[in-house]
Amino acid sequence: MTSHAAPALRHVIVTATSIATNLLAACTLRSDPPVPRVDVQHNWARIADSGATSGAYMDIDNNDTVPITLVGVTTSDAGAAEVHETMQQDGMAHMMPRTELRIPAGDVVKMVPGGLHVMLIDLRRALAVGDSVRLRLQFSDSTSVAVTVPVKTP
Amino acid sequence: MRHRVRRCCALLVGAVSLAACDLGGGFKGMAVDPPRAMPVFAFTRADGSTFRTSPEPGRLIVLFFGYTHCPDVCPTTLADWKRVRAKLGDEAKAVRFVFVTVDPDRDTPAVAERYARMYDASFEGVSGDAITTSRMMDAFGVAAAREPGTNATGYLVSHSSQVFLVDSHGRLVALYPFGTGWDALAADLEQLL
Repeated sequence: MTSHAAPALRHVIVTATSIATNLLAACTLRSDPPVPRVDVQHNWARIADSGATSGAYMDIDNNDTVPITLVGVTTSDAGAAEVHETMQQDGMAHMMPRTELRIPAGDVVKMVPGGLHVMLIDLRRALAVGDSVRLRLQFSDSTSVAVTVPVKTP
Repeated sequence: MRHRVRRCCALLVGAVSLAACDLGGGFKGMAVDPPRAMPVFAFTRADGSTFRTSPEPGRLIVLFFGYTHCPDVCPTTLADWKRVRAKLGDEAKAVRFVFVTVDPDRDTPAVAERYARMYDASFEGVSGDAITTSRMMDAFGVAAAREPGTNATGYLVSHSSQVFLVDSHGRLVALYPFGTGWDALAADLEQLL
């Protein structure tokens, strides 16, 4: 009977070890920070006077498996915030409001000087280096993402 | 302001100007060949003093035409100028950096001045009367046009986005289309100083 019991015991130990290992691995995975559905990085805004206009820039990563569409930006730091895009044609700079900005699944939209930007209109206070503005990005599926945008050296 | 918008005329002048430019002449920017003598323009500052674009021995002028409600191209250009000044060091004192508004209806002399000086205390921000603005835009081949905006923005202004370099003899010698690296302007200024 002993000769049959030893392999059975080994099997139990191996199985238990395997389960424990898997549980530990699962615990490790759970401790990793979750990947946000929408990740905003490299965000910054320009200096500006109170009552004047500023611009904010950022990268918006869509980590979802479906496209998302930015349909607006709200802020309590300015009278209004709108997404605009600068375009150059024949040496002229044109600025166009973008009321919808589609970000494909797994893609990123980069707002950079000379291109897409958030126009902050009628600022309620002056923006100096070291300040920050709070924006909320509104998406077409009624979700939103809050972003703190630091004011940086121009 | 519509009558001040020099769209078609200025675009034509600008096209002629650009046609006269090339990337030679020893400039990193677009050389204006031959250099073009520019008229002198005078602006009244907010404090009542006068700023003139008159040539000054050993001093250069760098100009840009924009408007203060512009959140992107204009501040990008002024930020580049600040980098240029830093690169030039003490030599920057021999360069007058001038921001000229193409939207004098909203940009008073005080507003234009404060906007430019927010980036660097040495920058001139000027707003002329309708005639001065119009003549200066024509002389430099600058175009501007009001475009519809939103209730929040009011009208937007499309405008020429290049930077102009005028030498110490009052001659336009080079242009820098938007997107040209600021180091090109810095290098050309260093060469002329």
